[in-house]
Amino acid sequence: MTKMTIPLGPQHPALKEPVNFSLVLEGEQITGSTVNLGYNHRGIEKAAESRTYLQDIYLLERVCGICSHSHTTCYLTCVEEIAKAEVPERAKAIRTIVAELERIHSHLLWLGIAGYEMGFETLFMYSWRDREQVLDCLELVSGNRVHYAMNTIGGVRRDITPEQKTEILRRVSILEERTKYYIKLGTEEATVLARTQNVGLLPHDVAMNLGTIGPTGRASGIKCDVRKHEPYLLYGKLDFKEITHDTNDVFGRLVVRVLELVESYKIIRQVLNYLPDGPIAVKVPAKIGPGEATNRYEAPRGEDIHYVKANGTDKPERVKVRAPTMANYVAVPYMLNSGYLADAPMTIAAIDPCMSCTDRAMVYDTKKNKVRIYGWDDLRKLGIEHYKKRGVDFSKL
Amino acid sequence: MSEFEKEEKLKAQLEDKFGGAISDMIIQRKDRVWFEIKAEQLVELMNFMKTGMGFNRVSTITGVDEGEKLGAFYHLTDENGIVTVRAKTPRTDPHLPTITGVFPGAEPYERELADMFGIKIDGLKPGRRYPLPDDFPTDQYPLRKDWKVGDAYPEEKTSPATEAK
Repeated sequence: MTKMTIPLGPQHPALKEPVNFSLVLEGEQITGSTVNLGYNHRGIEKAAESRTYLQDIYLLERVCGICSHSHTTCYLTCVEEIAKAEVPERAKAIRTIVAELERIHSHLLWLGIAGYEMGFETLFMYSWRDREQVLDCLELVSGNRVHYAMNTIGGVRRDITPEQKTEILRRVSILEERTKYYIKLGTEEATVLARTQNVGLLPHDVAMNLGTIGPTGRASGIKCDVRKHEPYLLYGKLDFKEITHDTNDVFGRLVVRVLELVESYKIIRQVLNYLPDGPIAVKVPAKIGPGEATNRYEAPRGEDIHYVKANGTDKPERVKVRAPTMANYVAVPYMLNSGYLADAPMTIAAIDPCMSCTDRAMVYDTKKNKVRIYGWDDLRKLGIEHYKKRGVDFSKL
Repeated sequence: MSEFEKEEKLKAQLEDKFGGAISDMIIQRKDRVWFEIKAEQLVELMNFMKTGMGFNRVSTITGVDEGEKLGAFYHLTDENGIVTVRAKTPRTDPHLPTITGVFPGAEPYERELADMFGIKIDGLKPGRRYPLPDDFPTDQYPLRKDWKVGDAYPEEKTSPATEAK
């Protein structure tokens, strides 16, 4: 059969990320593939060198829409280590809570994408609806759905009140109930099994050799949960399991993520019930160093590693960021090879490359020269009025 | 026994095996070791770290502009800690050997070193550049300290300054 090479991406309806794959096909079978990255390079590391440590928090939060808390926390652990700042226990607890809420948010989002890619759109609708629960928790705590802006040098910016604690616990119970259903669905539903089992195989030794991390690595049996092996924040004191699986395929990656949700609920409960009294931040001088530090952090997608070099001024000499997806992309060509073209989007999505979303509108009124920010309630009211004028009444929904 | 038993053991083994090629060994804290290796013995060291010491991953490579020299910091990780291996090469003729023979996952990080710092990686298989665009000038290296935004795209010189006030 003749060989044919087709490009997949960087702009492709089946692929949400700006990345390009060259796939060599023989009929429907993929016999070779290469990955090309770099379509989204924004020069953040260079930009970080010309900003102060505090401004860099704002910048690094925007490395990724979903792992926004992961990147700032990882960066700050380095900065605080160089500055020898002792972060208060309560701040660590709040960072841990936000980190786990973020993981739940990311895993539920991934579950939806997986459902969508396997042609099981009900799963997509269900899990994204449930994800609103955790987004509401994050909004309650931080005021934002995506970029939480919780971190500052030496601690966190907002406290968690007893009312917020009750509300988070209530919503976590709802999510736990739903997750039980997803576990049943993920392991028993025929559609899911047919589309994920033996797809995108990555044997343990290959994964080890290519340095695969996060849920992708754990589905190939690699013990690589940084929270467990090199505990940061409060993880050393908490009781949770490291989830691994041995099927090495997309099914394994699904099981690992769904079971990790259960562990995250456990962690949030433990931390909320432990929440020590005390300040939420300490003062750290603007000028830091000289010194250098490197730290790891278990982001929802895997190990995130930052290196910070300080030179004694208020700006870092060098900031290096390695996000988890970068490490996992190396393994994607192996997973694609010898699979079918129809499975390619599913296989690529299974490492959970990132996506971001936002849901706020800012309207600039040129006549009054004023900016008005519309929140959810305002947007809802506007929508109802809009349709009322056209004869449809949605106000009872 | 000292507080850093595991780290001291690593240090002793490395000094025993590589002797004079290793310098500036620092045990910064638990699970954090830093040292410098002569570039000629980089691959041999990586091999030893992987097969002998159980460091199965290069988590990333940080390029650093140190003026006269350009540095590449290889952050090797195992389950519990990070060992950072520094290799340095002169700015006038920067060369480092590839370690993709030992750690295949290091390929994108090496391309990044080549693109952002202009360090020539000997033995790296040909491929597309990463992460800069294909039409970016090949003689400019953005993460070197003397590089400014306007060097590659003169039209951006007039855009608002991004320097912190």
